[in-house]
Amino acid sequence: MEATAPARLLKRERRPHLGLRTTSLAYILVLVIIPVAIIFQDGFREGAAEFWHQVTLPVAAHSIGLTLWTSALMTLLNGVMGLATTFVLVRYEFFGKKLLNSIIDLPLAIPTLVTGVMLVILYGPQQALGQFLQERFGFQVIFAPPGIIIALLFITFPFVVRTIQPVLLELDRQQELAAATLGASGFTIFRRIIFPALALPTLSGSLLAFARAVGEFGAIVIVAGNIPLRSQTAAVYVFGAVESENRLAASAISIVLITISLAIILVTNYALQGRNDVRT
Amino acid sequence: MSAHNLVAAGGRKRGWGATLLILSVVAYVVLLLVAPIASIVRGALQDGFPALLTALQKPTLWESFGLSVKIAFAVIVIQLLLGSATAWVIVRHNFRGKGLFNGVIDIPFAISPVVVGYMLLLAFGRSGFLYPAVKALDIQVAFAVPGIFLATLFVSLPFMIRELIPVIENLDRVQELAATTMGAGRWTTFWRIIFPPLRTALVYGVALTMARAMGEFGAVLVIGGGVQGRTATTTMYIFHALEERQYVEAYAAAIILAFVSVLIVSFADWIRHRSTAQ
Amino acid sequence: MNASKSLVLAAFVSLNLGACGTGGSPTDPANFRLVLAANTTPREAFSEIIPLFQLQWLEQTGQTVAFEESYQGSGAQSRAVVEGFEADIVVLSLEADLARVVDSGLITHDWKAVGANGMMSNSVVAFAVRAGNPLGINDWADLAREDVEVLTPNPSTSGGAMWNMLALYGAALRGHVDSIPADDPVAAKEFLKLVLRNVTVMDDSARDSITNYEQGVGDVALTYENEVVIGWGAGYDYELVIPSSTILIENPVAVVDEYVDEHGTREVAEAFVEFLFTREVQEILARHGLRSVNPDVAASNSGQYAEVQDLFTIEFFGGWAQAREEIFGEEGIFSTAILEVQGGE
Repeated sequence: MEATAPARLLKRERRPHLGLRTTSLAYILVLVIIPVAIIFQDGFREGAAEFWHQVTLPVAAHSIGLTLWTSALMTLLNGVMGLATTFVLVRYEFFGKKLLNSIIDLPLAIPTLVTGVMLVILYGPQQALGQFLQERFGFQVIFAPPGIIIALLFITFPFVVRTIQPVLLELDRQQELAAATLGASGFTIFRRIIFPALALPTLSGSLLAFARAVGEFGAIVIVAGNIPLRSQTAAVYVFGAVESENRLAASAISIVLITISLAIILVTNYALQGRNDVRT
Repeated sequence: MSAHNLVAAGGRKRGWGATLLILSVVAYVVLLLVAPIASIVRGALQDGFPALLTALQKPTLWESFGLSVKIAFAVIVIQLLLGSATAWVIVRHNFRGKGLFNGVIDIPFAISPVVVGYMLLLAFGRSGFLYPAVKALDIQVAFAVPGIFLATLFVSLPFMIRELIPVIENLDRVQELAATTMGAGRWTTFWRIIFPPLRTALVYGVALTMARAMGEFGAVLVIGGGVQGRTATTTMYIFHALEERQYVEAYAAAIILAFVSVLIVSFADWIRHRSTAQ
Repeated sequence: MNASKSLVLAAFVSLNLGACGTGGSPTDPANFRLVLAANTTPREAFSEIIPLFQLQWLEQTGQTVAFEESYQGSGAQSRAVVEGFEADIVVLSLEADLARVVDSGLITHDWKAVGANGMMSNSVVAFAVRAGNPLGINDWADLAREDVEVLTPNPSTSGGAMWNMLALYGAALRGHVDSIPADDPVAAKEFLKLVLRNVTVMDDSARDSITNYEQGVGDVALTYENEVVIGWGAGYDYELVIPSSTILIENPVAVVDEYVDEHGTREVAEAFVEFLFTREVQEILARHGLRSVNPDVAASNSGQYAEVQDLFTIEFFGGWAQAREEIFGEEGIFSTAILEVQGGE
């Protein structure tokens, strides 16, 4: 009996589940791989030289640069504040903590278009706040890079927090207790014990936020100003190219965007995988 | 004493460093998240509460909401079936290229919605290679609801799968084997052993998918056609309302959308807490 | 596997019940469904015109017509129609966008033979300035001043944006900008660059641009005269300034042959387009700030419109095909001006 049962199991597992595998492979192939392949094919339709020409056009190149540096700066801020927020949420008790916890996920529920509109209402030049910032500090928020960064911060805020949170929750306090007993200051404990454990989730959450930010369109098209070579991001540039039937430009820059985001996500996955393998 | 702040949370006396940290975080969240949301609420009430009520009763608003919900439901059905299958295959199967397959799942997350709409346009637009096929079937994809459906399906693909994978990984295979050894058919094994632990993850996946699907804008803008009434999802309704200077209507719709999404995700959270408490 | 496949099919089928491209589905109460693809400007006018036509058609033929309307930037709209948006009628901001639809083979008849040379309405490029004109913006030269912030849409998506740039550049070439000599392309381009430097936001469409202006952004908006009139109708208090020299905006309208034949709506669609040229409709358009193509209507409404000192048309640039290439092409004057202005603040 014991000899045949596992054998029966093996046979059953192998045959019918092939249907499952084929279904899911087909699903992903049709829905994801083929569309992406279409864009790649279209972008290189006239050869690699033309592709490169499109990418290095000043307006295109500037838009990619603007996208990258605003996303990078945002990611840095998000990483720091995300870590701080998660820490406060997990380790401390204070009035309004539960409310804070539920607010964090709000950006996921708000369409990006609405995010853009909200920010223009709040920080636009016609509002007291916007005017104040502009006149006093010469600092323009809306229709300028700061507006882009704020919009991206809003949209990607949950990613960092929710990536760090489970790790921090499960962190083994023994080491910290031991260090405290030995007389280490709070800051030292954080620096030498807690932070190293959180470094990887912070990084991966931040990178996720970065990948998400690179492609952001809905909020930015409202908030950014969209002036070529000044306040136009890559996604908005692609939109303009699509709308004016400049297919080569649209495909070429789309390919760049996809490659950047995808590379980041793959690297993050790989790094996380490596860590998991080491732990198990 | 400050070491205690870090190591032992809850109720104890805190150092000023910790208080400062808490205050800065709260200030940051209020500034970044609460202030903009409050401004939309203020905007919705700018003409007074009666005006808001009138705006909330506009049939076109609810028509667009209905379309958004319908598309979201269709997307959820597909994701439930095919997404679960994919998650299962990724965890339980081994084949060449599985790692790449796993990475491919995240592609939709990495692609700008404008690009998504554009890809569909390349495939289904008049000069697209799939155009003759859908034309022959008398189906309009680009600039019609099927196009919006496909775009929404694409952007929400990773959510269900990513929710399911960790749960499937943690499934107790001993139970499955035991059930099969005792003669349970595949369906019984699935329904009584495999499905129950997945329930919560499925609910959460559905919630995330729905919130994402209803909030999609960029792709719909490119592939949708913007026909008021027919291809106007709630996000397009908001966009058009803004253009028509109907600000109260736009903000009202935005609030509804946000409210519904928050409700869905909170409900899923509640279910998750209930099941882990048991 | 079979269960999920049939579910997919079911989902598709149920979604298609509302999305067939035919003239009227079994569940549709109207006899005909006309799809109108327009630019953003005539939106309010159409909300009056369409019910009138529906009534008239009902009286004349006893049939009902349902309309589906889409309003987007002219460039975006024409692109959508070419890519498969099955519109029966297109109303666009400029002839060049209509030419795009013609070139794709969707329009095969001579649309210029209909009505007033195929143009449904006219307008002019003008400035919207704040109430009381605090900055004293009265003509093109003022747009180049350092203290002035300008709004204009993006030529990639908006037809209105192209009219704006052509008016600006044309006025400079024709010597109607102070300190810019006439017939001097280099000087005119320098002027263009000065103004571009002052642009703070480039919206997707003419409508988005003016609504942004209404929210308090910018000091002056380059826009259609009629957009300002519509804004007045919506209760916004800003002023209209007509520059000394500006371009005549001519908005074409046409039936899309391929789609009306497919939908079986040709007769209704053609009737609708003809309807647009009747005196009744032209009066409505005039009420919404558009300059009528009907000379009688134009004459009777002349008090409403400021006379333009130097009014020129697209012919000054040799027609749209030439203008698109020379001004907006990759090496065009506007495209290179944008590049040279780079750096900004």
